[in-house]
Amino acid sequence: MDQQILIIPVLFPIMAGIAMIIFKPKAKVYSPLFIEGIVLLNSILVWTVILTGMGRGEGALLFRLTYDLSVYFKLDGAGMVFAGLVSFLWPLATLYAFEYMEHGEHIRSFFSLYTMTYGVTLGIAMAGNLVTLYMFYEMLTLVTFPLVLHDRTREARRASRMYLYYSIGGAACAFMGLVFVLIYGSTSDFTQGGVFSGGVRNVDHNILLAMYVLAFFGFGVKAALVPVQKWLPAASVAPTPVTALLHAVAVVKSGAFAIIRLTYYSYGADFLRNTWAHYLTAAFVMLTIVYGSTMAVKEIHFKKRLAYSTISNVSYILLGVVMMSPAGLIAAFTHLVFHAFMKICSFFSAGAVMHRADRNYIYELDGLGYQMPVTFACFTASALALMGMPPFAGFISKWNIVQAALSEGGVLGICAIVIILYSALMTAIYMLSVTVRAFLPAKDTVLTANEGVSDPGWKMLVPLVIFVIVFTVMGIYSKPLMQFLEEIC
Amino acid sequence: MLTAILILWPMAAAIICFCLGRRSEKARDILADIATIAECALMIALLARSLQGGSDLYLGLPGLCGMGLNLTLDGFRCVYGTVASLMWATTSVFSRQYFTYYANRNRYYLFNLLTLGATMGVFLAADLFTAFVFFEIMSFTSFVWVAHDETGSAMKAACTYLAVAIIGGLITLMGLFMLYNMIGTLTLSEIPVRIEEIRQVWPRPFVTVYGGIVTPTRLYLTGGLVACGFAAKAGVWPLHIWLPKAHPVAPAPASALLSGILTKSGIFGILAVTCNMFAGDAAWGRAIMWLGVITMFTGALLALFSINLKRTLACSSMSQIGFIMTGIGAYALSQPGSESAVLAARGTVLYMVNHSLIKLVLFMIAGVVYMNIHKLELADIRGYGRRKPLLAVCFAIGALSISGIPGSSGYIAKTLLHEAIVESGAGRVIEWLFLVCGGMTLCYMLKLFITVFAEKNHDDELQKQYYGQKDYWNAESRIAVTVPAVILAVMGLFPYLIMNRTAYMSSPFLGITRDAMGECVVVYYAVHNLTGSFISIAIGLVLFFLIFRRLDRNVWPEWLDLEDRIYRPLILKILPGILGFVSAITGQITDEAIILLRRTTHRQISTRVPTGSMDDHLAVEAGMILDHILPHRDGSSHIPVLVEKEERAARTQRVIYGSLSFGLILVCIGLILVLIYTLASA
Repeated sequence: MDQQILIIPVLFPIMAGIAMIIFKPKAKVYSPLFIEGIVLLNSILVWTVILTGMGRGEGALLFRLTYDLSVYFKLDGAGMVFAGLVSFLWPLATLYAFEYMEHGEHIRSFFSLYTMTYGVTLGIAMAGNLVTLYMFYEMLTLVTFPLVLHDRTREARRASRMYLYYSIGGAACAFMGLVFVLIYGSTSDFTQGGVFSGGVRNVDHNILLAMYVLAFFGFGVKAALVPVQKWLPAASVAPTPVTALLHAVAVVKSGAFAIIRLTYYSYGADFLRNTWAHYLTAAFVMLTIVYGSTMAVKEIHFKKRLAYSTISNVSYILLGVVMMSPAGLIAAFTHLVFHAFMKICSFFSAGAVMHRADRNYIYELDGLGYQMPVTFACFTASALALMGMPPFAGFISKWNIVQAALSEGGVLGICAIVIILYSALMTAIYMLSVTVRAFLPAKDTVLTANEGVSDPGWKMLVPLVIFVIVFTVMGIYSKPLMQFLEEIC
Repeated sequence: MLTAILILWPMAAAIICFCLGRRSEKARDILADIATIAECALMIALLARSLQGGSDLYLGLPGLCGMGLNLTLDGFRCVYGTVASLMWATTSVFSRQYFTYYANRNRYYLFNLLTLGATMGVFLAADLFTAFVFFEIMSFTSFVWVAHDETGSAMKAACTYLAVAIIGGLITLMGLFMLYNMIGTLTLSEIPVRIEEIRQVWPRPFVTVYGGIVTPTRLYLTGGLVACGFAAKAGVWPLHIWLPKAHPVAPAPASALLSGILTKSGIFGILAVTCNMFAGDAAWGRAIMWLGVITMFTGALLALFSINLKRTLACSSMSQIGFIMTGIGAYALSQPGSESAVLAARGTVLYMVNHSLIKLVLFMIAGVVYMNIHKLELADIRGYGRRKPLLAVCFAIGALSISGIPGSSGYIAKTLLHEAIVESGAGRVIEWLFLVCGGMTLCYMLKLFITVFAEKNHDDELQKQYYGQKDYWNAESRIAVTVPAVILAVMGLFPYLIMNRTAYMSSPFLGITRDAMGECVVVYYAVHNLTGSFISIAIGLVLFFLIFRRLDRNVWPEWLDLEDRIYRPLILKILPGILGFVSAITGQITDEAIILLRRTTHRQISTRVPTGSMDDHLAVEAGMILDHILPHRDGSSHIPVLVEKEERAARTQRVIYGSLSFGLILVCIGLILVLIYTLASA
């Protein structure tokens, strides 16, 4: 019975979000304390479940679609990592959003959807089988769609339409892969090592592989895989809390997480290794890394540049995934966790600049470093971390990815090394050029426009500083996390 | 524990200085001096302990930064730690006067002390990973030095410096990944054994070690990648591009450190790779040797043509790094443990120590010139040093030593390297190039000395003004410049006292037993050694008096710049250009597919442009009939209303025709018809 507790963290924010829309508070438009309370309570609940080990067990059934097709939650190791990550970030992001959105419109619907997204993301994290995962994956599209549309500008409308087309189309592809797992697998539940380990009869392997590739790209839409990545830079028109949390953490990581589930827990890495599907997906993942880092260098819009950076970094995770080995899975999870902190930190810095100084483009940032020292210090730290410089956390995940790639050996390993090197160089260029502009403007620049700009208030700074501390500490001492990951992989 | 203090103490002092500097600049300066001098004193104490045969210190911090940090303090590290802390102590004492009129001094002190901590970390590292971590920190903190002036040229140089450091660092990191994957360790003391095991397998191609076949190509590639970042910091051709630009624009104390110690940390890395992975490897040795020769010659050539005091010194640094590289090359060429290896190792270490001290003195003297008259072009500062005997003597000690004149410490080091090159069988060509470069060194140092200290300025007024400057340095600066100069002189005069001991202590790091180093006795002032030196001097004098005596214009072609010609276009234009083109195409694929779908099957966008003319004669006919039957009371016609209605109907109809649902309805109707037909026929 105590397994039913797993349902609460998923449904509670969704219910709260719906309640916020239905019951219109009269005096105030919204109450920060109330929203933050809900989110924080939920996070505490998730962490309690994780730390006490209450969630380990049979799982909690929500309802049955048919006799053998059920929607149920189960918290295994992989789910714990993702759920823990999401529930750590959400309260901080909500705090940040209060200050960012203080002058915005439609705030009530914004926060209600924001809270609902929390529940849906947890649903993805805790999904016990592919059907549940698919269901919440579709729901994620639907609840985040209005958030992208939030500004109601022409650009936002275009971006949200694009987001919808891509996501729905991707989900359709993913659905086909799902059906094949249901029909030919021994079970639809997530199983370490895959459901085809007992061998498959009555069907050509190539058809299963083709379905895997289809599903890979289907879930790859949210993970912004080339050639289905275009929606992500476009979606950076949304308010920063949305772009940061949803498009650097929740949505893209849901895509990556779904691919991990699909690869390691449904089809099984052994089933896929050294097949054409393996090489095809690996090739596209590497292409995406090159694409993301190259386009980021060419982009001059601050947030779009970070969005391109996300494209390349999420494919780092997928690069770990397509190694199809336990070491690769560890690497993928490491980067999944660390990248979340690094990227949300850099996005929030960008958001702080937009909020306080109203600058959107890189060339407008000259000399702002002295006006907003904390913000840009945090940004610089995240830049170094993203480049993979020790002692920050990015180094550890990169180390894991490269070691996984190298022990794979062969052409794949060498390609991975070259591409990671190239991407690291480009990361250095596109991230550090911002820092250099902010702190060391050329001597003849006119800096009068910077007067009066200052660091944002505590609601924005606290999350930023916490993120920096987290990825620095993780970089210096990451042993507990690595041990945990080794256990679950 | 002491090793950690050596690193953490300056870093802590940096932060305290930064906070203190916001209140009192004087207190900060004093604290910075105390911090560096204390560091230096501690290092000297540790050096003395090591000299008396004290055991090596070791500190392992497993789990930190993923791989664990390991620090150790053996003889060589003691020597270099002492040199580093001495350099910081003198420059920071010197900085007080030099920086009197500078802005952003607080920032400078912060990063200066942080760099000290990081540099100590590099030299104390017991494994390549630790060295790399501190090396990267050092790159970033020293970037601020170069950018300190914030002028256009300083910014450009700083960005070049940062770019080279980052690219080099990332390449080294890749090398470390591969090395770790290959042999499973990065600890320096464990590497030689494992590499030896790999080498023994090579004749038998199908035996595997460490879980895979390691081909020679892979080993060389790995070594090359690891060495790459270090070589970039050392200023080895073709990665030297930052060096002649960054040194002149940095403040003088920072240039002294950049040239004296940061380049040596790069050499330290190359040494660590060579001694542990490639000792006795002829191919590697030859590669290093030739890189060294090219660096040596290019640097000397650039220095000869330079007409700026600090730029000359910077190019000279590059050239001297080339000399050290030839020593490393000779080491790798000779059999491990053989006499030539011992000679090469000794020469390399002594050359490093020597060059650090020389450049410390020379750059600080350049700093003295700059802080008084704010000029560095040779034409402007001509005659500045006349009637300033102490300054001239200090400069002369440095100049003599760097040119390798007998009696100086430079002579000892150069002789050892010369011997090593001959003994290791590098060939006559390299030997002669070595001597020629020695001559070129003498030539450009002579040019500097004569210009600054002997000749009179063309402008008599200016010359009078120069004579008038009596208190051009205060007591502190004077001590800061004189102390290293005196050390240099002593080293040269009593070579067996200091230099042999230094080499003796350093030998284990270089893979040579202390006994072998002790047994190898070199008579420095033997005839054949002196001959080599005199050939060099002769070449130098000939070059100077025939060609470069009268050179005071910039005749070096501007366009001949590796950075502007090749690197910048390659990295900033060509690479992103090509890949960007590919990316842009792949990025469009899905969009095009969606648009294609919308144009064809889903028909949201009309492919035909609407003409606007409507077929509405039906409405006109009906309206005319209606007008006849039911005329409006006010006499107006039915026609406009009907036309409007018909147009609306036509629009709706078109939408229905064009929509997917219409298609579906048709399909459904078709299905129903088929169904009825089947049912009926059944």
